[in-house]
Amino acid sequence: MAELNTTAPIDDLVAEAANWTPVSLLEQIKEQGRTWVDLAVDYGVTNPDPPWKTSLDGMCEVLAAGTCSSMAAVEKGWLAGDTDRSTLEGAPPLPLLERRWEEDALSETLYQDVPYPERQLLALVHSLIKRGLVKEEDLAARMKQVHERLAAE
Amino acid sequence: MSHDHHHGHNPPAPMVDEVSDFEALEIAVRELCIEKGLFTADDHRKFTEFAEHIGPTPAARMVAKAWLDPEYRKLCLTDSLTACKAVGVDLLNPTGFGTPSDYTDVRVLEDTPTLHHVVVCTLCSCYPRPILGFQPEWYRTPNYRRRLVRWPRQVLAEFGLVLPSEVEIRVEDSNQKCRFIVMPVRPAGTEGWTEDQLTEIVTRDCLIGVALPKPGMTSNIKLPVHKAAKPAH
Repeated sequence: MAELNTTAPIDDLVAEAANWTPVSLLEQIKEQGRTWVDLAVDYGVTNPDPPWKTSLDGMCEVLAAGTCSSMAAVEKGWLAGDTDRSTLEGAPPLPLLERRWEEDALSETLYQDVPYPERQLLALVHSLIKRGLVKEEDLAARMKQVHERLAAE
Repeated sequence: MSHDHHHGHNPPAPMVDEVSDFEALEIAVRELCIEKGLFTADDHRKFTEFAEHIGPTPAARMVAKAWLDPEYRKLCLTDSLTACKAVGVDLLNPTGFGTPSDYTDVRVLEDTPTLHHVVVCTLCSCYPRPILGFQPEWYRTPNYRRRLVRWPRQVLAEFGLVLPSEVEIRVEDSNQKCRFIVMPVRPAGTEGWTEDQLTEIVTRDCLIGVALPKPGMTSNIKLPVHKAAKPAH
């Protein structure tokens, strides 16, 4: 088996993540949001996953999909510490390895007490906000609209 | 005239009748991503439908078929792509439209009475989704990924799998292009079983290598997920 690189960027990421500024909206959801574990018990539902889980998985996959001719080149760059994808045509918005390592780091720090898959969702959104791909205020406004829309149905 | 309204209808299945903040967040972030052009609704729908349709049955059936048919067993070990096609999965085109998890190699790891395989992805959580479905939570955690390669016997024992010292344990590390499933030894007590009966006892945990198949065991272990107590170094 190949020698493991025990000083891989993930350890740096985890150390760095301990100092990441929490996102207020996500902290509020973390504190007040009802997780599937609790909802399923309250309503007597036996599905192990919430109904939005497959949509979340679809979102993670589609954000990592790109027209870049070599996905391996993107991941290799990330592992070597090169996160600049501005010259790579068709590079995906959020490549898989970056997202997963940030999820690992956030799962051991800011979101360590959140069950799965809510933890995966918070980490994904955190990564998107950190990269400026979505804005916290836009998300807060849209969540309010979603709640109103669904309550009216 | 009175009517008897008890027509044997089953009561409706319970459902969650509130929208959690997490559900609203998932919808909100998805809508914003689509509006900003990060992906299209159509592409998202395709990936979601793929996620909804995959599961461990194809891989379980491959093992069951291999136990019953020596020629198919050889095919699994020498030409896994053709072996996967026999259970309805074309690994070169698993979704029909492409996925960043596309890869072209799945290897079947054959256990023997003195050799046990177990699979991990130390970098992230690569997994042969088209034939095995989605990975369980514990497979994705740094706790499993870092510790299995260092202390495999101990980690397997935490799953309830205690192997005699004379059984060698081989850990296979997956990557973007190559994924694995384990072909366990066919257990005693399954003589004369049909392919369907055998498929039922080849659980997802057996195919990863953290459990051994047993007559009567058709479900996976429910494992509480913990942060690693020992540091990785």
